[in-house]
Amino acid sequence: MAVIRDVMPAFELFQPATIDDALNLLDKHGSEAWVMAGGLDSFDWLKDRIKRPSVVVDLSQIKELTGVKEWNGGIEIGAMTTLTDVVRNPIVKEKFSILATGAESAASPQIRNQGTIGGNVSQDTRCWYYRSGWKCYRAGGNTCFADTPTAINREHAIMGASRCVAVNPSDSAPALIALDAKMVIRNKSGERVVDAENYFIGPALDIRRMTVLLPGDLLVAIRIPSTWAGAKFYFEKVRDRPVWDFPLVNIAAAMKVNGDNIESIRMAVNGVAAHPVRLTAVEASLVGKPRNAASADAAGQLAIQGAEPLRHNGYKVPLLRNLVKRAIRGVEEAKWA
Amino acid sequence: MGIIEFAKSPWGQDVPIHIFFYLIYVAVIAGLTFFIGHVIWLRYFAKKEEFADSTPPGEVAKLPAEIKRHSLPARLFHWVQAGAMLTLLFSAFLPKVGVRFEWLQWHWIAGVVLTVSIVFHIIHASFFMNFWSIWPDKIDIEDAGRRWKRSQGEKAPAPRRFGKYPMENKMYHLAIVLAGLSVTLTGFFMLFRIRTPLFTRNSYMFGDMTNGLMYTLHGLAGVGLIALIMIHVYFALRPEKLKISRSMVYGTIKREHYAEHHDPKRWVAEAE
Amino acid sequence: MTDTKVTRRNAIKGVIAAGAVSSAGYLFRTNTVMGQSSAPGSVERLITLEVNGTTRRVDVMKQETLAMTLRYKLGLTGTKLGCDRAECGACTVLIDDVPHYSCSVLTHTARGKKIQTVEGLASADGKLHPVQQGVVEEQGFQCAFCMSGFLMATVGFLKTNPNPTRQEMAHGVSGNLCRCQDYDKILTALMRGAELSRSA
Ligand SMILES: Cc1cc2nc3c(=O)[nH]c(=O)nc-3n(C[C@H](O)[C@H](O)[C@H](O)COP(=O)(O)OP(=O)(O)OC[C@H]3O[C@@H](n4cnc5c(N)ncnc54)[C@H](O)[C@@H]3O)c2cc1C
Ligand code: FES
Ligand code: FES
Repeated sequence: MAVIRDVMPAFELFQPATIDDALNLLDKHGSEAWVMAGGLDSFDWLKDRIKRPSVVVDLSQIKELTGVKEWNGGIEIGAMTTLTDVVRNPIVKEKFSILATGAESAASPQIRNQGTIGGNVSQDTRCWYYRSGWKCYRAGGNTCFADTPTAINREHAIMGASRCVAVNPSDSAPALIALDAKMVIRNKSGERVVDAENYFIGPALDIRRMTVLLPGDLLVAIRIPSTWAGAKFYFEKVRDRPVWDFPLVNIAAAMKVNGDNIESIRMAVNGVAAHPVRLTAVEASLVGKPRNAASADAAGQLAIQGAEPLRHNGYKVPLLRNLVKRAIRGVEEAKWA
Repeated sequence: MGIIEFAKSPWGQDVPIHIFFYLIYVAVIAGLTFFIGHVIWLRYFAKKEEFADSTPPGEVAKLPAEIKRHSLPARLFHWVQAGAMLTLLFSAFLPKVGVRFEWLQWHWIAGVVLTVSIVFHIIHASFFMNFWSIWPDKIDIEDAGRRWKRSQGEKAPAPRRFGKYPMENKMYHLAIVLAGLSVTLTGFFMLFRIRTPLFTRNSYMFGDMTNGLMYTLHGLAGVGLIALIMIHVYFALRPEKLKISRSMVYGTIKREHYAEHHDPKRWVAEAE
Repeated sequence: MTDTKVTRRNAIKGVIAAGAVSSAGYLFRTNTVMGQSSAPGSVERLITLEVNGTTRRVDVMKQETLAMTLRYKLGLTGTKLGCDRAECGACTVLIDDVPHYSCSVLTHTARGKKIQTVEGLASADGKLHPVQQGVVEEQGFQCAFCMSGFLMATVGFLKTNPNPTRQEMAHGVSGNLCRCQDYDKILTALMRGAELSRSA
């Protein structure tokens, strides 16, 4: 349990009012600077004195970063839009309800009232060895404490581990990948747009970060194209208790059907690897197939190919398989195996 | 700043975890400084090479025009090793200076190639080549002393001609052996800490301290190799050394060069 | 003995030096107040907060959380600190009518916003807020450490959904933990509070 330790260590605080000012500050202070959105991931690090930035750039005063607006038939969500505002947004509800369901399943009402969508997709892993300040791979060391014979790793990765076995905990991330969202990133030298799928990175690419963001980068908006508007959606999050808890595994699927057949589908899961995983092989295997138990079974089986559970997280393998089945056939139809 | 980064182990012990990575830049700067120093030395201080002995011109004419220096297997080994070494250095250090890619797979595969090629080289050199030809011997050390004295303007007899390898080559080989064995041996044990198809992963063969020392040695030898490889490439490309460098491609050197620098009696011919 | 003297003298010198440095720092900071340029986005320590309808001037560290300011600078100790990690809800306050964990908001972020704590629920004449009244009538809490958080969460929730079902209410206050585990009675009390709010 967290220890209350008096106020946080001192840092210099900036509350810029425009994106440009924020970018200048981030550019000036480089890796010394910590970007703070809602702060709900940040405070743990600062309060526990595990990360000690000398400068905090609080984005809360930047009006241009909040709000949902229409974009090319789809929508553009400012990075500082709170999860609650995403959930309550009428267009999100109507066209991209999977994102509302995903965001609504995160954390608690108060956290959603303050936590932002940008922060939710950029949050760090919850691996408690890492978060308690062990000098593990992710912290710049040479050991993964969650992958030792006595480690408690019930909530860790079952695939894609490269030295570090931490998982990405975001609930909105798989929904955004299923919707083929685009992440708009800006720094002093310009803007780039990255597919949601490629926004998240694993330890093989960079063991110290969860996203492509580097010091100086700001996620400014998330664009959701109209491609999947109004498709058949499925989101499910499995967790230990219905509030606060992070996903053990979650799944988001967007599907277009033609009669009985699956015309196209996008599917992503989180909580199984250091980055949300888009199940491309499963998607490919389903196109043109009837939406029935046989397809669902085969897809579930395919999804867990190559899974490598650790000592305490073997349960995630059937969990993932069954979530994939449910995403295709719905809860009632999925048979527990 | 410092050389080694320390961390607390779960038991509260201070253990080394690896080197500080700014040492990469230190190594690159050391390499560059060496180039500059060497160029200045050559330009302003170096004396013309002189040898105490020589082969009479008549004898030289009897030699074949091209003298065999490196057999094909030896050359192959060299280039395989070079490829592996460069891959290892780039995959190790590019990510540390901000180039993102999935370096680990390149690194461990190149590491395995390097290890296998080194094992081959040790066997090849021990049993199929003249093993001693690459190690400094008594004459080399005496001659090094003579060269030093002469460069200081003191009186000393002229050094004798080299065996198969000049002293610099031998010293360089020695440094590469030390650094190379350090990285490959530590690298070999580090292979057990990651998932590869080679072994069952076992990251608990050693304690935190041993592991930490291994990472540190791996890192120190690794940055050392940056400087060493830079120096190697520099010498290989120097105009006066190209006569030797080409033998790593074609296998031979010219008889004139041979006769001037090498003592046929000390250069023991080897079987192919 | 001489040793201690020396140490003490050094210590005193140290204090004086530190004082000089910090007061110099203060002078330097006031530059921005006097209209001279400073980095865009830099913040002042002396700020104005609007708490429970009154304006309060308060000296706030950059890294201070709202819970700390409310409790230890403004004396509003009705706001409790349970976990200080956004994991219990005891510190819930309303910022612009929206429930937030005050342990997890920088006070500087709440500048210029309307802050309401449990102390601001009852009206000036002492009349309880309907939700408080509901809790009194239904005897909702046991130890009541979690109560102010629950009250604020409920008041905030009712602004978005004045007529919730019991299930919706449960979801609305799901960001608050009760260590006494008396949720059933708490919900009954809060539902009573909702009812009283509607008729108020
Ligand atoms: C108790 C608790 C339970 C939780 N449960 C869940 C859960 O079940 N599911 C879930 O998905 N999440 C959960 N969360 C996480 C919560 O949803 C996120 O912490 C929140 O959404 C992050 O948003 P924030 O704005 O508060 O992030 P911050 O803490 O402000 O930021 C998080 C990280 O992202 C970076 N960042 C934020 N915005 C930007 C930007 N625009 N550009 C660049 N970098 C940026 C910050 O530098 C920081 O490193 C929980 C959090 C807590 C404290
Ligand atoms: S003290 Fe703020 S949520 Fe627990
Ligand atoms: S009544 Fe005791 S904590 Fe809720």
